[in-house]
Amino acid sequence: MSRRTYQPGRCFDIGVTIGLFLLSVLFILPLYWTAVFATRSLNETFQFPPPLWFGSHLVQNYQSIAAVFPPFRPIINSLIIALPKTIGLVLVSALAGYGFSRYVRAPGHKALLAVTFATLFFPPSLALIPFFLQMNAIGWLNTFWPLILPPIASGFGVVWMYTYIGSTVPKELYEAAEIDGAGGIGTFFHIVLPIIRPGLAALAVWTLIGTWNDFQIPLVVLGDGSKFTVPLALTTLSTTHYSDMPAVMLATLMGLVPVFVLFALLSRQFIAGLTSGSVK
Amino acid sequence: MAAGRQAGKLDHLRRDRAFYLAIAPFLLIFLVFSVFPVLFSFYLGFNQWDGFSDAKWVGLENYIRALRDPVFQKAIGNTVYLWFWSSVVTIALALGLAVLINEHVAFGKSYFRMVFLLPLLVAPAIAAIVLRLFFSSNGGLVNLLVGAVSGTPSYFDWLGSEFWIKPLVALLVVWRWTGWYIIIFMAALQSIPRDIYEAARMDGVSRWGIFLRITVPLLLPAIAFAAITATLGGLQMFDEPYVLTQGLGGTNNAATTLGMYLFATAFTQLNFGVGSAVSWYIFAAVVIMTLLYRAGQRRLQGAAS
Repeated sequence: MSRRTYQPGRCFDIGVTIGLFLLSVLFILPLYWTAVFATRSLNETFQFPPPLWFGSHLVQNYQSIAAVFPPFRPIINSLIIALPKTIGLVLVSALAGYGFSRYVRAPGHKALLAVTFATLFFPPSLALIPFFLQMNAIGWLNTFWPLILPPIASGFGVVWMYTYIGSTVPKELYEAAEIDGAGGIGTFFHIVLPIIRPGLAALAVWTLIGTWNDFQIPLVVLGDGSKFTVPLALTTLSTTHYSDMPAVMLATLMGLVPVFVLFALLSRQFIAGLTSGSVK
Repeated sequence: MAAGRQAGKLDHLRRDRAFYLAIAPFLLIFLVFSVFPVLFSFYLGFNQWDGFSDAKWVGLENYIRALRDPVFQKAIGNTVYLWFWSSVVTIALALGLAVLINEHVAFGKSYFRMVFLLPLLVAPAIAAIVLRLFFSSNGGLVNLLVGAVSGTPSYFDWLGSEFWIKPLVALLVVWRWTGWYIIIFMAALQSIPRDIYEAARMDGVSRWGIFLRITVPLLLPAIAFAAITATLGGLQMFDEPYVLTQGLGGTNNAATTLGMYLFATAFTQLNFGVGSAVSWYIFAAVVIMTLLYRAGQRRLQGAAS
């Protein structure tokens, strides 16, 4: 590395680093300001230059949200939806991915796998209207069920686990399990699941964050404000109380915290999830 | 012999049974809640239905009605505009940043890889709320800045402006997605052998020349993948323009996308037939784009081998 010191590109590299740093500040500035304004009074948000450091109005802003709705209710609603959906999606996807990966010679394997791949290119908007009518017909509108159960069957999840299991679980393992007399499903739970834990974690993080941020389907399905998820509750708050900017900012911040904590804990899995979707 | 064959056949049956058992939960939920609705949507496209009274068969009328609606025509234009500009800016920016981070950043590489990704964690709807507050006509940060620079207080209505609303939606997409494409491009950059760069540098090729003649051609598959991903998302854009315009599409539908048009026809006007027809138009666009991508991919592979 010491060789680099003498290269003429060194100055250029330092310039690039500083430039990129400034750009990165610009990228996170909106988030930072959201946090700062959440602790400021309404008057302070109209000042110019705007405050750059936290103020002392956090409690007052919290109280003005609490006057409108219980501030933690949307967060709890989102959790009630996201947790069971994620666990279900990861398990169902892993099981199907395992089936597709191991039993390549079963009749119908090829066609079913092709169909699963094809679903990746189906726009979700295609099912939006009939899905709403279906939920209406079975009486699931304004409940959490449409947001938990149907999305558990995810073509994306299956394709992902199929690829992941194919590349991490050696075929010899299946032969060994067969000699031991282990059944197909038993092999999955006792042998395959422990091996693919990193893949499960990556899919879980990706699903959790995606579910947390979902907007269109909850908007169509949930009618009652007390059932609103975080994005819905915030959108409603921002239209009804748009004049109280610091309160909206604080509510926004509260809705963001769970995702950012999750990301801080599992950012490696999240990034692994990102790149696994790209072509290799 | 016969007994052996029998046992082998039994093994086969057992294996097939395990296969169907493994994919059954996925398949079952998928058939009921995805395949059935999509098939029903196809039927619905040829009917006039408000969800309450009896459905009436109208043939292709829904498809024709949508095409004749000036708002639908405008939504096509808006969607193409938003898809094109948000994809081009995001991918170009991410490509440049990925190369700079990979090749030229002196220190803190992992910081840069992370920091641009943070906006992706923010829900599109929430990002739109924050953007609304910053661009609000009365006391928004942007107007305060304009006021401070020009010396007179500014109360410009950015979100109500027919011109500015579209760049704002695009800005939101660029802000959220650039980090994702940076990760994609950086992963692809790892696969380019270092000695190609060394050799080019020895030959005195400039940085810009290396970027244009080595990096970009070798990254073409990743760029194509980025383009198709951005396209699939862009054609269905809904959350960002919906929240940014509070569900109204902006002044004179300046930011109404196909996704918003579909939503409004179905859930505001309760015209499920026309809404379904629109969703099949979106599907057709997605299919055409995907086929173009596949063809391009094959040509790339053909050129490479």
